[in-house]
Amino acid sequence: MTEANRKRQEIIGNLRLIWKEPLLLVFIIAIFYFLLIFVLFPLFMVFKTSLIVDKQFDLSNYLAIFSKRYYFQPFINSMILGVLAATAGTILGFVFAYAITRTPIPFKRFFRMTATFPIISPPFVVALAAILLFGRAGSLTPFLSRIIGEYSIYGLGGLVLVETIAYGPIAFLVLYGVLQAIDPALEEAAMDLGASRARVFATVTLPLSIPGIASAWLLVFIESMADFGNPMILSGNFRVLSVQAFLQITGMYDISRGSTLAILLLVPTVTAFFIQKYWVARKSYVTVTGQPTGATIQRLEWYIKLPTYAACFFFTGVVFLFYGMVIWGSFQKLWGVDATLTLHNYVEMFQVGKGYIFDSLKVSTWATPITGLLGMFIAFLVIRKKFIGRTTMEFVSMLTFAVPGTVVGIGYILAFNQKSALFPFVLTGTAWIIVTLLIFRNMPVGIRAGIAALQQIDPSIEEASTDLGADSSKTFRKITLPMIAPAFFSGLAFSFVKAMTAISAIIFVVSGDWNLITVAILGFVDNSQYAQAAAMSLLLIVIVLIALSIIQLLVGRIGKGARTVSIVN
Amino acid sequence: MKRVIFLSLLVAVFVFSGFTTVYAAGKVLHIYEAFDTEEAKYYIDAFEKETGIDVVFVRMSSGEVLARVEAEAANPQATVWHAGSNTSHINAASKGLLEPYKPKTSFPLSDSLHAKDWAWTGFYSGAIGFVSNTNILKKKGANAPTSWDDLLNPAFSKNVAMAYPYTSGTAYTTYATLIQMHGLEKTLDWWEKFDKQSILQYTKSGTGCIPMAGLGEVAVGIAFSHDILAKGVNKGYPVVMTFPKEGTGYEIGGLSLIKGGPEPELGKQFIDWCFTKKAQNLFQKYNRLPVNPEATVGKGSVTLDQVKLIDYDHIWAGQNKGEMIKAWRDRIGK
Repeated sequence: MTEANRKRQEIIGNLRLIWKEPLLLVFIIAIFYFLLIFVLFPLFMVFKTSLIVDKQFDLSNYLAIFSKRYYFQPFINSMILGVLAATAGTILGFVFAYAITRTPIPFKRFFRMTATFPIISPPFVVALAAILLFGRAGSLTPFLSRIIGEYSIYGLGGLVLVETIAYGPIAFLVLYGVLQAIDPALEEAAMDLGASRARVFATVTLPLSIPGIASAWLLVFIESMADFGNPMILSGNFRVLSVQAFLQITGMYDISRGSTLAILLLVPTVTAFFIQKYWVARKSYVTVTGQPTGATIQRLEWYIKLPTYAACFFFTGVVFLFYGMVIWGSFQKLWGVDATLTLHNYVEMFQVGKGYIFDSLKVSTWATPITGLLGMFIAFLVIRKKFIGRTTMEFVSMLTFAVPGTVVGIGYILAFNQKSALFPFVLTGTAWIIVTLLIFRNMPVGIRAGIAALQQIDPSIEEASTDLGADSSKTFRKITLPMIAPAFFSGLAFSFVKAMTAISAIIFVVSGDWNLITVAILGFVDNSQYAQAAAMSLLLIVIVLIALSIIQLLVGRIGKGARTVSIVN
Repeated sequence: MKRVIFLSLLVAVFVFSGFTTVYAAGKVLHIYEAFDTEEAKYYIDAFEKETGIDVVFVRMSSGEVLARVEAEAANPQATVWHAGSNTSHINAASKGLLEPYKPKTSFPLSDSLHAKDWAWTGFYSGAIGFVSNTNILKKKGANAPTSWDDLLNPAFSKNVAMAYPYTSGTAYTTYATLIQMHGLEKTLDWWEKFDKQSILQYTKSGTGCIPMAGLGEVAVGIAFSHDILAKGVNKGYPVVMTFPKEGTGYEIGGLSLIKGGPEPELGKQFIDWCFTKKAQNLFQKYNRLPVNPEATVGKGSVTLDQVKLIDYDHIWAGQNKGEMIKAWRDRIGK
């Protein structure tokens, strides 16, 4: 049989499989339709708008961007910021992951928790804390400026600092998983053969974790390049692309050129995503043999212990300092002028922000289960079923991770403020534009959770249960469900967190009826009402923590002792 | 497989129940709001109490409102555009986005307070001024600026903040004032120096520089007098307000009806209400200058006859905004 023949046979076989399950076919078509409408269509609209000036096809936007310093400079700035933050974040993440997986550092759980804490808070809270601490009126400023002279937190330096704190934890999670999967026995073996600790690190540990490091670097690069909240607050005269695209649209009323800037932002992030997904991820040297052995190496020289421990304690201190500052700031009467402690900010926050808080809770609560279920279903199709377009489905649904929120937001206002042939509803101004945006933006999280869950189930386990006499419903209840549930719920937890703390895309689609807490916080910051902003940020963090504990409780009930899944790719 | 189907059906039910509830909302007045949330609530609560009409508003900068109204032109989501420099309203009117409406008022509105075709009306005013941090002034041994050229004082090196002229009506008014006084070329020459020597950073919103000056993040900010009073002086920040002796520009706060908005009758009622004595008296709290001659001016407010004003041409400023902004960005590069 020739190659072409075999291919044709395979396709026919797949078609036949599908044909046997018509309902499945309907679902596949439905999902493709949703992906088309809510992922590709908005992107297409941004692209189209960037090419149309005064209702005519025109390349002038692109020419302008490459000929005007004030358009091109932000692009370079964003790249510089992305590279620096990714490098700093990856180093930080690696040191932390190394300390926790490879050294007998005490309080491992505690360190792991503080290292991941910034992930569950809205990213721009870090920038807010940076102003409270290091702004010209900041608490530490008099002290610090005596040491290093006059400085400004507004600009590249400050941004790299906050992006590292905000997104370094993502690098930590990736590298923690990677280092955990590298069997310490390999390193033990090298040491037994006489290699020094440094040599083992340089020739065994580091080479094995290179793909993980590259992955972590690219993920932090994507996140900090696309970040909107922090630069919006802290960029000063260091102008970055995500903010400039926003200002171009909201300040210059120029959607067409704003879209062009957004496309410019899309190029590096999507490129990084491609490299991460199709090159780095495939180069993984980690052999998954099952459970990690858990053996940690106890023979450690001081010159390894000391700097890693110091780095861990230092970063943990920084996290406490930053978030502690937000708590402290939220009780001050007039930040920077009158430090009398008061509850007034909380009262005012509730008066002004009650509606925002409930709206945020509502849209997140609606979006989260749908994100989880849809993600689980797509994961199921991609992993267990064969059909034409399977890889396309996976690709498109994971793509949203790489598309900066700014681009998505612009795309949604362009795509859904009128009826179109593809989609006969107007979503602008409703809760549904926010909900669908959250669903499709967070879907990669749901899919990751789904894939992780399904991979944990070996079909033979279910077969064994059936062989022992359980019917399929009992098997599902007693075997499948407990195994899926923990991963599914961690996926839910993370999509809820992402929904509650989203800002970059959301800021374009909020409306009078539906406005969200993150947008309100950014408004307070823009007004320099730092105390109120701090109070509201704190409330948001508390809500998220409560929601997480509830989900944790549910997971504990359903799947005893099951591991939670990693929440980033 | 059965479970998966069940779950997906659940998703479908979720989604469709959602779409149906969207179209069952009650009748309320939708406003795009350019006042800050807190201030907007103060006026709108009063309106709701007096008329019993429910208002839903979303707060954006006037630039954002214009972008939103333009994007939604095919399907407007709000009826009234409340506040923001009339410059943006003029800009919107020239794009045909507004519905002319002559409000019923108890007093005649002067020509400078409305568009020729009544596409927008002005319902408050205020002059551009400087806000300076007294502690920094003392430390630097400098006086609060009383002239545009005082902003180039070396004492204020990297110590001045204001908004981007292209994101804020306040900053654009400042820019347009200078152009109307000195012409575009001279203004840009001056601004280039000003930008290099004095500016620490541009903010997005026009009022952002006031608390910055209050907090000592900068020595001097440039903003509207009513904002300086309400957000600086009255909040308890150590700041003083001064005006340039050569003359300054002023803003007229715009109010307009969005073309094709969902509740035109309620919208007209709201606009009429904004000119009543009762509504105009509310401006005292935020130090805006009322246009209704019967209304009381807030304590400490600077009325337009107390500062030297230039003959500021709002129409020119609104109609030439795109071109002037382009010139600014080409020269300043930001």
